[in-house]
Amino acid sequence: MRRFDEGETVDYCIVGVGSAGGVLVQRLARAGFRVVALEAGPFWDTEKDWVSDEKGSRELYWNDLRITGGKHPLALGSNNSGKGVGGGSVHWAAFTPRFHPSDFRVYTQDGVGVDWPMSYWDLKPYYELLEREIPVAGPAWFPWGDPHGHPYGPHPLGGVGDVLVRGCTSLGIRTVAGGPVAILSASHGDRPHCIYRGFCLQGCKVGAKASTLITHVPDAISGGAEIRAHSMASRISLRSDGRVDGVIYFDREGREHFQRARAVIVSGYAIETPRLLLNSVCPAHPHGLANSSRTLGKYLMAQAGNVVAGRFDELIRLYKAPPAHALSEEFYETDPRRGFARGFAIQTVGPLPVAFAKQMVAAMGAWGWGMRRVMMDYNHWATLGVLGEILPWEDNRVELAEEKDQHGIPVAKVTFNLHDNDEKLIEFGKNKVMEVMWAAGAKQVVQESRFAHLVGAVRMGSDPSSSVVDKFGRTHDIPNLFVCDGSILPTQGSANPGLTIQALAARTADYLIKQGTAIFSSNQRDLTEPGIRYDLSPPYTKFKGNPRIT
Amino acid sequence: MTKKSFPFRATGGEIRALQQPGYYAGYSTLAQQRKWDDATRETVTSRVMKTPPIRFFSPQEAALLGAIIDRVLPQDDRAEAHTVPILPALDQRLFNNELSGFRYEDMPPDQEAYKLAIEAIDAMAQQRFGQAFIDLTVHRQELILKSLHDGHPDPDHAAWHRMPVHRFWAMLMEDCVTAYYAHPWAWDEIGFGGPAYPRGYMRLENGLPEPWEKDEQRYEWNVPADSVSELDEEGAPPEYGSLHGHGGSH
Repeated sequence: MRRFDEGETVDYCIVGVGSAGGVLVQRLARAGFRVVALEAGPFWDTEKDWVSDEKGSRELYWNDLRITGGKHPLALGSNNSGKGVGGGSVHWAAFTPRFHPSDFRVYTQDGVGVDWPMSYWDLKPYYELLEREIPVAGPAWFPWGDPHGHPYGPHPLGGVGDVLVRGCTSLGIRTVAGGPVAILSASHGDRPHCIYRGFCLQGCKVGAKASTLITHVPDAISGGAEIRAHSMASRISLRSDGRVDGVIYFDREGREHFQRARAVIVSGYAIETPRLLLNSVCPAHPHGLANSSRTLGKYLMAQAGNVVAGRFDELIRLYKAPPAHALSEEFYETDPRRGFARGFAIQTVGPLPVAFAKQMVAAMGAWGWGMRRVMMDYNHWATLGVLGEILPWEDNRVELAEEKDQHGIPVAKVTFNLHDNDEKLIEFGKNKVMEVMWAAGAKQVVQESRFAHLVGAVRMGSDPSSSVVDKFGRTHDIPNLFVCDGSILPTQGSANPGLTIQALAARTADYLIKQGTAIFSSNQRDLTEPGIRYDLSPPYTKFKGNPRIT
Repeated sequence: MTKKSFPFRATGGEIRALQQPGYYAGYSTLAQQRKWDDATRETVTSRVMKTPPIRFFSPQEAALLGAIIDRVLPQDDRAEAHTVPILPALDQRLFNNELSGFRYEDMPPDQEAYKLAIEAIDAMAQQRFGQAFIDLTVHRQELILKSLHDGHPDPDHAAWHRMPVHRFWAMLMEDCVTAYYAHPWAWDEIGFGGPAYPRGYMRLENGLPEPWEKDEQRYEWNVPADSVSELDEEGAPPEYGSLHGHGGSH
């Protein structure tokens, strides 16, 4: 891997190498830019650093302190924050449905939330591109949203998928099986197909499940990028003319460094991105960098992620197959008869024993001998998840807490509250999934409330007075400062956001490449759609999959 | 443990001193460790072979918390040599101050929360039954703990005004189940297939076992007659129990 010298100025400094950061660093490096990407966690050796074990995988998650509050405080860490190259795409279950066209027009269509400053059709070419690039396996026909097929064929079902399909079918609810997931159902270049190990949330040792660590970062390194691991950004530096000129970060030993850059892209996700911008206050930006709108940190969203568990007379063995392998989006869109706006998806989930036991604590109040009893029946349980849309509310937010991290930097304080529409949606969704579970033949059904994913808090919009960044992630206030990750999503639908985040990153990269040096020097803002580029692979790797580091 | 309470069969007496509880007699995930990768084998086997020392809690605190854990996640039916070490794992987490990514704004730091709680539980036992928690019968210990589980500490104590009892209970339960169900002896008990790389799973549907797994052999199993921790299968979950789930599921 290339190493830039300490005092060298690079074109782009990217903060965070997760789903978005990994795609950005790849495309910018391939286009000839000098790129340094800072990552707070390690550069993983998947064979030595990862294990097929729940307790032994805790280092994959962002375990550092955050303070959480509100009426419905979010549990942070293992569900929704990754640390290390690949970020959350290392431990995602890898469901990769697209958002629907309606997700981009929530305010216009349903009178709630906000519209996006772009349409589904602007992003569709990037969905298609990333689906081939990852590549995504799934049903030949996905009937919801913008109906489409998938590059790779569907996966076989596990016991939980059988339950979902059987229960939904008996109720007349359409389902798809075998995906869509970013998991290979056949080999791809030097990546093997899935061996149905069941430990997706612990990082895929096989290489079948995509993460930017194996799909985009190796290509970025071949293109001349530097990935600087164990580098925790603490603040973004501004020049006197109002442009950023680099990032200050701490290395593994706690020493402070300054990386000079002609532009900065923050890709630290929905908690750490606003935290970094809020910690970068200066006289010109007293309320946080690029926060003239005063919306930085606001409109944080999680998705409802209630888990419904059903016990069956027959064996299920839910730990086999990918946890993610079947779903229904029949209830995704607004239906006025239900009494709330927007909707939810029904998905398979596959908790391993520790995760399942925790669910039994919450869902059944299991303890003592009751805990031992329910767990002796582990192999008879199936679990399905609600994935429900929670609307963007101003009081759901990321702020700075009084507590500080080991570098003396204020940590994030996260406040989350459900509102009326959210509560109605969750109640309906939870009851519908319980109905599916009963219909599948369960003898006992319980459910647990929880949340999944994290997006928002650095809102994308056309209006600088009510948003932080434009439709390409460029901050309204600072022409060479960009944000590109889940934090810019104005709304979130009830699809897993991973594919959308990567597609947005690819689109932003095309914009940056087309704009060229104007990003570094011009105050003019060209918002023309850049047009998608194809054939991103270098010639010697065409049709050979993503190259590995050698 | 000086006091025990045993599950039982109506037709056959107490279930006790088992090398391997559960419905999968003879099953051993550790027997498959040669099929695992090196990193996983090292991680899992060290959990069996090495028990971390008690370094965070004082000996008195450790004895008290050990008695609490023995009721929160009882192992009385296991042979002594085949009990899963839960307290040492919890102690190690607190000694290293390992966080899980957040702290609720109404909770003190985990280390402080545990010290507060065990002191409170012992004081509750003294006030309600006139004895230290560790000296109570199993039944009485469970009554104290059930009042925490139910969200209504009986008797009340100042600690539960400094932190919500349901938050502490969730943390305690999660720490205990993490230690227990991460152990291969617990996997044998529940029939979990275990690590599956580089050899994966092949028989995905209809609950079929892999060639190395065991079929289930069910038998009658009842919680101890003096226990109040049996599942309430017909009732709704506790009010708080459905509001603060943790951990990954997507």
